[in-house]
Amino acid sequence: MNEFRLDQLTPGLRQSFSVTVTTSMMKDFQSISGDCSPIHMDEAYAKHLGFKDRVVYGMLTASFYSTLVGVYLPGKYALLHSVDCSFPQPVFVGDELEVIGEVTEVNDTFNQVEIKAQIKKKDGQVVSRAKIKAGVRGG
Amino acid sequence: MKVEERVTSVFRDIFDNPDLKITPSTSAQDIEDWDSLANINLIVAMEKEFNVRFQMQDIQRLTNVGGMIELINRSIQKS
Repeated sequence: MNEFRLDQLTPGLRQSFSVTVTTSMMKDFQSISGDCSPIHMDEAYAKHLGFKDRVVYGMLTASFYSTLVGVYLPGKYALLHSVDCSFPQPVFVGDELEVIGEVTEVNDTFNQVEIKAQIKKKDGQVVSRAKIKAGVRGG
Repeated sequence: MKVEERVTSVFRDIFDNPDLKITPSTSAQDIEDWDSLANINLIVAMEKEFNVRFQMQDIQRLTNVGGMIELINRSIQKS
């Protein structure tokens, strides 16, 4: 786990990690959220809609922004303030994703950092973009 | 554009309400979404709009839009 303090965070600082979406993650997310929409649960239904397989929950993909902030950038001392995100392309079970964040602004009055983030598939296709704000605890 | 008009424009952008009307006496009590995180967004947006930096003690004394406009005017004169 990274432990960046505010004075170590500068615009341009970048961190990333990779993760593969699994069937188990889908099951766990359904259990936590209660979202049982067939587009996420029923392969035949999703195919009927023109997708190659059931679609991974957008908010499951977005949950990796939590990992980005809490573990990588800034890491231990972060407290998530906001995530403004979009999902331009669908994700499917088995996709390997790269989660990338880059510091764009540091505000030392409010101990807050802004991060531009995106999540890409292995082939480079961007499946999510986000603007994230997080507090960085001192001490 | 006058400072008051630019302040109004920032408020409308932060609270995503193009019809939002503010006066010098408008405070956080008058705008439902004006919570602590929105306040940070508002202050940071004002700093960007007017290219100034506020001191924390000045921010903590703010009670309404009129005080914010006064702080902006003072900060512009200093810069």
